Amino acid sequence: MRLRIMSRYPGGNLIDIAIPTFIAAMPILLGQAIGGGAAQAAANFQQNTGTTNYVAYLLIGSNIFMIVSGTMWNVGYWMRREQETGTLEALYLAPTGRGSILLGISLYGMIRTLINFMIAFALGSLVFRVNPLQGNILLALAFLLVGMVPLFGIALLYGAVILRVKEANALIQLAQWVVSFLMGLFFPIAVFPIWLRVVAMLFPPTWMNNGVRASLLGVGYFFQHWYFDLAVLGVFCVITPWFGYWLFTRIEHGIQRDAGVGEF
Amino acid sequence: MTNEQIANDKSQRAPSPFVNFHLQFVIFVEMVRKQLIVMTRYPVDFVTSFVQIFFMILLFTFATIMFEPRGATEMSGSMTSRTGGVMMYGFVLFMFASDTLWTIGYNIREEQYQGTLESLYLTPASKFASLVSRVTMIVVWTGLLSVAAVVFVQLFLGRLPFQNVGLGALLLVFTLSGMFGIGFAFAAYTLLVKESAQTTANLLQFTIMIVCGMFFPFHALPDVLQSIARLVPLSYAVDAFRSTLMGYPPGFPELASIETEIVIVVAFGILMPIIGYWLYQRAERHARVTGSLAEF
Repeated sequence: MRLRIMSRYPGGNLIDIAIPTFIAAMPILLGQAIGGGAAQAAANFQQNTGTTNYVAYLLIGSNIFMIVSGTMWNVGYWMRREQETGTLEALYLAPTGRGSILLGISLYGMIRTLINFMIAFALGSLVFRVNPLQGNILLALAFLLVGMVPLFGIALLYGAVILRVKEANALIQLAQWVVSFLMGLFFPIAVFPIWLRVVAMLFPPTWMNNGVRASLLGVGYFFQHWYFDLAVLGVFCVITPWFGYWLFTRIEHGIQRDAGVGEF
Repeated sequence: MTNEQIANDKSQRAPSPFVNFHLQFVIFVEMVRKQLIVMTRYPVDFVTSFVQIFFMILLFTFATIMFEPRGATEMSGSMTSRTGGVMMYGFVLFMFASDTLWTIGYNIREEQYQGTLESLYLTPASKFASLVSRVTMIVVWTGLLSVAAVVFVQLFLGRLPFQNVGLGALLLVFTLSGMFGIGFAFAAYTLLVKESAQTTANLLQFTIMIVCGMFFPFHALPDVLQSIARLVPLSYAVDAFRSTLMGYPPGFPELASIETEIVIVVAFGILMPIIGYWLYQRAERHARVTGSLAEF
């Protein structure tokens, strides 16, 4: 159903594909202005991150950010919209398992964001003239796919917060900036002070982002080898969805008891 | 009916200009009050707006540091004064531009969703007051956020150049006026296209960010985009505003001489609200005639 709704708004999909290029363009242009040209910008960037390919580095960051942000929007905004249009309560009265509805929404989000990732990354590479087919592509895909599972959990956590606090727009906007900061959208998290690095590493998209960058650009894994980093993501795959679903159902029951499902 | 009765009757039907102005003003104040009440009902919105500003600044500061020759080894205060000025003053205008699109333009859509737009239109309140009341909210709220952002940067990330404050403020007033005109025009667009307005707002926001050089100097743009930037009045507003506050360092303003830019910004500030409101009135009439005001 969600995929059908999506197909009714083709403009929205085109924008989703274009936005990562816009996001990456800002630091790229800023960096070139600071460096006084592309070559000096690359040299400065290598000093700080370990790769001269700052364009691909930033494109990967912006595309993964879109995946994370899109997943949160899909669940959080869907819920808020259902509240606003008055259909959430009706949906709750339907004889359907809550898990299957949430899974359906999340699956839709994952399919959409993954397809968008492929096209947007290719588009960005074309616009900025970098080769998208470099490094270990299969490994990068593995990081991407495994990283989607904890994202489902984060989306549920987020849905729970929206259900309780209701102000989806404000929360989504805030979350977007927090997410982009913690996952190192434009920079490696090594620049953070140690306490902030620990916080960032508790956040699965940070591992996903670094894993894809390390696979494609060779900037280095957090635990030196790809299999250690992937294993950490694997642990998140178990913990995050479980915790997300537990919190979601808890908050949901509380709201149902207070007859607050239809309120907004 | 005597002449006196006729005169009384006329005065009842058509209030004097003074009474009319007073009435419009009272309605406007009530509209602003309504917007304020709605705002205070969502306290999370207050908090998150403030917090996200600091994350945005930090994000771009770290991005800047990645391209500095000294880079990550010297974090504190490493942003050069000029880079900071270009980025921060552009950022202030970006906040206003973004809020204008969403608060004036897309807010109409929110009223449609909540089913309050048609009711609002059935009240004898001025539609202009309704639009302008949203502007007041932006001036107050985004103004506060901008001040907080600049203070944050001054305190933690290095001093910003801060010169020609009077002219800078004047340029800001005309720039905001022009932006509000864009907001009115976008509200008109929202009434016509409905759901697609959200997508357009997103696209516009990012396009403005790049084409109007909000976070970087214009000379960083490729030639094609520089040519496009020269066709957009808001680009001149951004260039004039930040160049003025930075005290016109070598190479600034980038798009034209400051005199030319001031003329463009003033014209933008005067004409754009008129054009925007005219477009809004047309779209509103169209929505009423076709009965699509409450449709979504």
